[in-house]
Amino acid sequence: MIIIQQQPFDIGELHERVAGESTSLGAVVSFIGRVRDFNESPDVQALTLEHYPGMTEKALGSIVEQAQSRWRIERALVVHRIGYMVPGDNIVAVLTASSHRQDAFDACAFIMDYLKIRAPFWKKEHTASGAYWVRERGSDLASLSRWEQT
Amino acid sequence: MTLTHLNARGEASMVDVTDKSTTQREAVATGRIFMQPATLEQLVDGELPKGDVLATARIAGIQAAKRTHELIPLCHALMLSKVSVDFDIDRDTSSVGVRVMCRLAAQTGVEMEALTAASVACLTLYDMCKAVDRGMEIGEVRLERKSGGRSGEWQRRHEGEIHADTTADDDEILATPSKRHEAAPGSHQEAIEIRFFAELRERLGVAKLSVLPGQLSSPTLSALKMWVSERVSHPEALDQPRLLCAINHDMVQGDSALNAGDEVALFPPVTGG
Repeated sequence: MIIIQQQPFDIGELHERVAGESTSLGAVVSFIGRVRDFNESPDVQALTLEHYPGMTEKALGSIVEQAQSRWRIERALVVHRIGYMVPGDNIVAVLTASSHRQDAFDACAFIMDYLKIRAPFWKKEHTASGAYWVRERGSDLASLSRWEQT
Repeated sequence: MTLTHLNARGEASMVDVTDKSTTQREAVATGRIFMQPATLEQLVDGELPKGDVLATARIAGIQAAKRTHELIPLCHALMLSKVSVDFDIDRDTSSVGVRVMCRLAAQTGVEMEALTAASVACLTLYDMCKAVDRGMEIGEVRLERKSGGRSGEWQRRHEGEIHADTTADDDEILATPSKRHEAAPGSHQEAIEIRFFAELRERLGVAKLSVLPGQLSSPTLSALKMWVSERVSHPEALDQPRLLCAINHDMVQGDSALNAGDEVALFPPVTGG
């Protein structure tokens, strides 16, 4: 499931939603991305996150489908916030649930790595000396190579 | 081109307009304030603590136009015959746009009045909303067109297309609709919609454009980019090797064929997560 929202999320609730009443899910992996107070500047005060409604949901849905075709995951949930956030706020949560931990770990990392380069979100960081759009990171592109199938 | 506000010694001096002819003059200026989506919703719903935000900002803009000469040192005091201040709400960019038109018959132009009114209307929007959102940002304050006087008609390049699209269907018009609504000829079903995001949108100064396939030299992405570059004030913003493109919400690489009704998006590399 894909959720784009402005409001903060409660990771406990998300965990409940994924794990629920199930007694066969032996592993739930959750990743949370947060706003850092240092990034391209050492004094990030806030950021605003913009996205492309419609395409975001489609791109994330396709990434989750790819993960489901590669690993045995019963459930996957991606929640991404948009709008205004300050350091320490949660930005994104990816949860994967499986019978065994390795599938859940790998699928979660895969979804997050592809979200970074395929999902249409853009961050603008605000500092005391002004605001700027965050540039892409070469390391995000490089991290995809580990998922290339031979 | 000489700067008429400087005298022979390069000092500031007020231009003598006694001998200029009195003509009908008009100027349109716009500005935009970006805010959190939640703030925008509160503004639209009238839930902000200071009350009716848009009505207050409209009065502030009109007052500012009338008092421009008190703020801008070398600006003449004018008897304005008409000032209008309109707003549009754009949820896609989470912003409120301000559009000011000033008109009078006089010996000097009214673009400073229109620009001052647009700026002060934006500042008042900030003041009215700051209790809930201090991170708002004012931008895109600019002259859209002016007419009358020695320099005659001036218009921001291809204003028609740009305006037709800053007021696209999903924008809510809160005030007197202006004539820009009539600016998009042709039917919407056939048009290719073009959207810009993030830094590219800011640099181009436009969020959406639409084009009929017949207006392109060929039904391809490369022809569409060419068409866009001829219509925006900063086409160099499109000249970046990592510019990404999506057609109907799917990322594409290289040139691609386009069809009527397609939605094309151009944007910088993504930085979510």
